[in-house]
Amino acid sequence: MDVKLPQLAEGVESGTVVSILVAEGQEVKKDQPFMELETQKAVGSIPAPSAGVVTKVHVKQGMEVSVGQVLISIDAAPAASTGGATAPPRASKPAAQPATAQPQPSSSATTTSAGATDYRYESKSGVAPPAPPSIRKIAADLGIDLTRVKGSEAGGRINLGDLRDYVQRLQQIALQRAPGAEQPSGQAHQTPASSESVDFSKWGPVHREKMSPLRRTVSRRMVESWTTIPKINQFADADISNLLALRKKNAPGYEKQGVHLTLTAFLLVVLGRALKKHPRANSSLDESTMEIVYKNYCHIGVAVDTEGGLIVPILRDVDRKNLAQLSQELHAITERTRQRKISIEELQGGTFTISNQGSIGGSHFTPIIYAPQVAILGVGQGQPKPVAIDGKIGVRTILPLCLAYDHRVLDGADAVRFLKDVISGLENFSEADLQLK
Amino acid sequence: MDPTTTEILVLGAGPGGYTAAFYAADKGKKVTLVEQNPRLGGVCMNVGCIPSKALLHATAILREGKESSHRGIDFGPARVEVEKLRNWKESIVEKLGQGIKSLAQHRQVEVVHGRGHFEDSRTLRVETTAGQKFIRYEKAIIAAGSKPAMPHAFDLGNKRVMTSTEALDLPDVPQDLLIVGGGYIGMELGTVYAALGSNVVVLEALPSILTGVDADLVRPVSRVAQKAFKEIRLNTKVLKMATAGKQIKVTTEVNKQQRDELYDRVLVSVGRVPNLADLGLENTKVTKDDKGFIQCNAQLQTEDPNIYAVGDATGGTLLAHRAFRQGKIAVETILGDASAFENVVIPAVVFTDPEVAWCGLTETEAEQKSIEVQVAKFPWGASGRALTFDRPDGLTKLVIEPETERILGVGIVGVGAGELIGEGVLAVEMGATVRDLADSVHPHPTLSETLMEAAESFYGTATHTLSRRSS
Repeated sequence: MDVKLPQLAEGVESGTVVSILVAEGQEVKKDQPFMELETQKAVGSIPAPSAGVVTKVHVKQGMEVSVGQVLISIDAAPAASTGGATAPPRASKPAAQPATAQPQPSSSATTTSAGATDYRYESKSGVAPPAPPSIRKIAADLGIDLTRVKGSEAGGRINLGDLRDYVQRLQQIALQRAPGAEQPSGQAHQTPASSESVDFSKWGPVHREKMSPLRRTVSRRMVESWTTIPKINQFADADISNLLALRKKNAPGYEKQGVHLTLTAFLLVVLGRALKKHPRANSSLDESTMEIVYKNYCHIGVAVDTEGGLIVPILRDVDRKNLAQLSQELHAITERTRQRKISIEELQGGTFTISNQGSIGGSHFTPIIYAPQVAILGVGQGQPKPVAIDGKIGVRTILPLCLAYDHRVLDGADAVRFLKDVISGLENFSEADLQLK
Repeated sequence: MDPTTTEILVLGAGPGGYTAAFYAADKGKKVTLVEQNPRLGGVCMNVGCIPSKALLHATAILREGKESSHRGIDFGPARVEVEKLRNWKESIVEKLGQGIKSLAQHRQVEVVHGRGHFEDSRTLRVETTAGQKFIRYEKAIIAAGSKPAMPHAFDLGNKRVMTSTEALDLPDVPQDLLIVGGGYIGMELGTVYAALGSNVVVLEALPSILTGVDADLVRPVSRVAQKAFKEIRLNTKVLKMATAGKQIKVTTEVNKQQRDELYDRVLVSVGRVPNLADLGLENTKVTKDDKGFIQCNAQLQTEDPNIYAVGDATGGTLLAHRAFRQGKIAVETILGDASAFENVVIPAVVFTDPEVAWCGLTETEAEQKSIEVQVAKFPWGASGRALTFDRPDGLTKLVIEPETERILGVGIVGVGAGELIGEGVLAVEMGATVRDLADSVHPHPTLSETLMEAAESFYGTATHTLSRRSS
C-alpha cells in the first residue's frame, strides 16, 4: 500500500521532510514513526498506518511534501513470504487517516475545500473511474483528473453534472484562497496574489530568502484574522507596583522550589479568573451555524518568540491551576517551543492568547486576534510613571495593556468590564494566592 | 533532387494509416500517404480480416447445409468451384481498395506508392516505380503494420508451406492440411478449409487452442472443431519440416515421442511480426521494445519528437479497430488536443464456429491480476432464439466489480457473438452497472436478450433459467 501524507491539522497542508527513519526493505510495525516532518507549526513524526515491509521510499530529505502525496510504499505481506513472485497486488486501502487533527470550529470555506480536494476514487479492481467516453473527453480537455471527481450515479458513475460541480467547487476554492492564502503546494504564492512582484534590485542590491513554513503560516493566519475580524483595540494601564513587591518578597521561596516567577504567570492566574467570569471572551464564533461556542475550559496561548518566528503553545486548564503550577508549566513549554520540540497538538485548542513583549521592552501595541479566538491581550513593559494618587503625584510601575477583541462577539462594554477585572486582578493580587503548598 | 514537402506524412495505408491520413485531411492538414502495395487497405483489407471473413461466410453455407438435413431440408452434396470462390473474394477486396483510393482522392490526400525509408527525422525517401522521391514532412505517423511470422526452420522456400497470406489466396483445397498454431488465425482458416473438404490437423504447442481466452468461451469452439477437423493435437511441437515430393514431411513431438507425417500443405500461424525492417528507423530517434515493436506513449509519440506510431507496428493486441482509434489519437495529439490511448475498451472477436467475442476485463485476466470479481452467466441453451438457430452451444457472461456492480467485462461465445459484443463495449465504456443492463428491454426473440438475462441472473431473477447469484 502507498502511505500518503495525512491531513495533520487544520490548515497544515505541506511540510518539509526533516529525516527518513526507515530504509527500503526494512520491516516496520504499525504506528512506528517512519519519518519526521517539519510543518508550518512544528516538527513531528509520521507513524506507519500498518505493519509490513517498506518497498519504496518516494521522498527525500529536505523535500517539500503536501497532503495526499505518497511518502513510502509498504507491502503488508509478511516478510517470510518474499522470494519469487511477490504477493499479488491487492487493491490499496484508503489513504492514511488524519493522525491528529483536533476538531476546531473552522470557517465554512475550509470545510468546502477539504470536501472538494480530498476525494479519491479507489477501485479494488484497479480500473479507471466509471464515466462515459464523452465525459472523459471533456475532463481530458479541461485537464481534470476524474479520480478526484465523485460520481453521483449508480456504481459511482460520473456524469456531466458531477464534473461541473467539481469544477465550480475548484473555482470557489481558488477565489477564496487568492487573497494571500497559501496554496496547497506552499510554493506559488508567497506574496498576496494581488501584489505584483517588485524588482527591488533596481534601487540597490538585495537578497531574497525563502519564507519558512512557519513564517508562511504566521503570514497566512494574520492576513486571515486581519481581513475577516472586525476588531477593536482597547488600551488600559495596570499599576503593578504592589504585584512586583509581592513577587520580590516571595521569589526566593519559589526559587528554592526551582520555580521562576514571571509576570506572565501572574497574568495567567488573573486571566483564568477573568475569563471564567466573562465566558464570552473565552468563546468562538461558528459562522456556519451562526452560533457562539462557549467553552467550559480555559486554554491560554502564550506567544513565544523563537529563532524561526512566532509560535503560540497552549497552557491547558489555566483556571484550575495555581501560580506555582502555571509558572513551572510555562517555563517548560516555552523552552520546548524555543527548541522546536513542541507537538502540533500542543499548539491547538487555545481559547485566549497573551502576547507579552515586556521582557524585550515594548509599550502599548495592538495585537492581532488569533482566530478562531475572539480576544488577545497585548502586554508591554512595566515602567515607573508619575501618577496622581489621592491628589498627589507619586511614582508607580505602570503596565501598558491592550485588549484586541472581535466586535462580532464582544461589545465595547463587555470588553471594558473584562479588562477592568484583569486590571483589578493584577492590582489587588492577593498574597494568599502566592502561598506555596 | 528537391524534396516535396507535406505537413503530415503517413507511412502505411492500412486501417491505422488511412484513418490517420483521412482524419488529418478532414482537419485541414496537407497529408501524404505512402504505401508500398499497389492497393490501399493494408493487411486487414487485402490479406486479413476482410478476405478471411468473406471465405468464412461463403463456406459457412457448406457447414450449415450439412446440418440442415436432420431438420428435413437436404441440399445433397455441394460442389465447390475454387476459382470462382477466389474471384468473388477478390472482387470484394478490390471494391474496398478502390473505395479507400477514392476517399483519399476526395480528401486531397496525396498517395505515393513505393517503399519508404527514413533519411532523418524529417525526411522520408520513397522508392517508386518512377525512381526515388524525397518527402520532407513536419510530422510523420508510422503505420507500417505487421506480417505473419515464419520461423526460419519452417521456411523451406516451398509454396506448400503457407502463411495466412497465401492460405487466403486459396491456391487449392489440399486433401491433408496441417495448421501449426491453434490461435485465432489458425482456427479461422482451419474452419474455412475443413468446410471446403480438407482433412485439417491443428498442432498447438500449448495445452489449449485460443490461448488467453477464458476456458468456458473456448469449450464450444473446441467441440465443434473436434468434429469438423480431423484432429486437434495439443502440447505438440513441430521439430522440422522437409519437402517430400509433392508433400511436406513434418516431424512432431508429443510426450517426447517423435512422429513423421506427410501433408499436402502446411499453414504456419504462430504469430505476427512488425514490418519495421529496412525502414531507416536508425536514422531517427525512434526506439523499439525487446519484441521489436515501436515504443510510444499514450499519445502515440515515439522517442523522436517528429514521429508518431500507430497500429500493429506498436505491438500490443494486433487488431484493426485498435489501429483505427490510435490513428485518430495520433492526429489529435499532433493538432494539440488532449487525447490519449488510455482506458479504451478494445473488443476482440474470433470468427470461428461458433464465434468468440469479449471486451474489457476477462475472467482469466482478473484471476492473473488477483482482481476480485463476480461473474454472471447465461447459457444459450435457455435462449429461445439460440434454439431456433439450432445452436444452443453458446454462453454470455458478465465480469462484475462486486462493490459497485459495475460491468468490467463481457464475454460471449455462440453464433453471431461478434455482432453482440458491441453492446458489451458500450456497457463497459459507459460505466454501466448490471442493473442498467438488466433493466434495458431487449427485443424478443434475439440473441441480444442473453446479455439482459445474464444481468438478471446476477440478481437471481433471470426469467428463463433457474439461476442463482453466481460468484
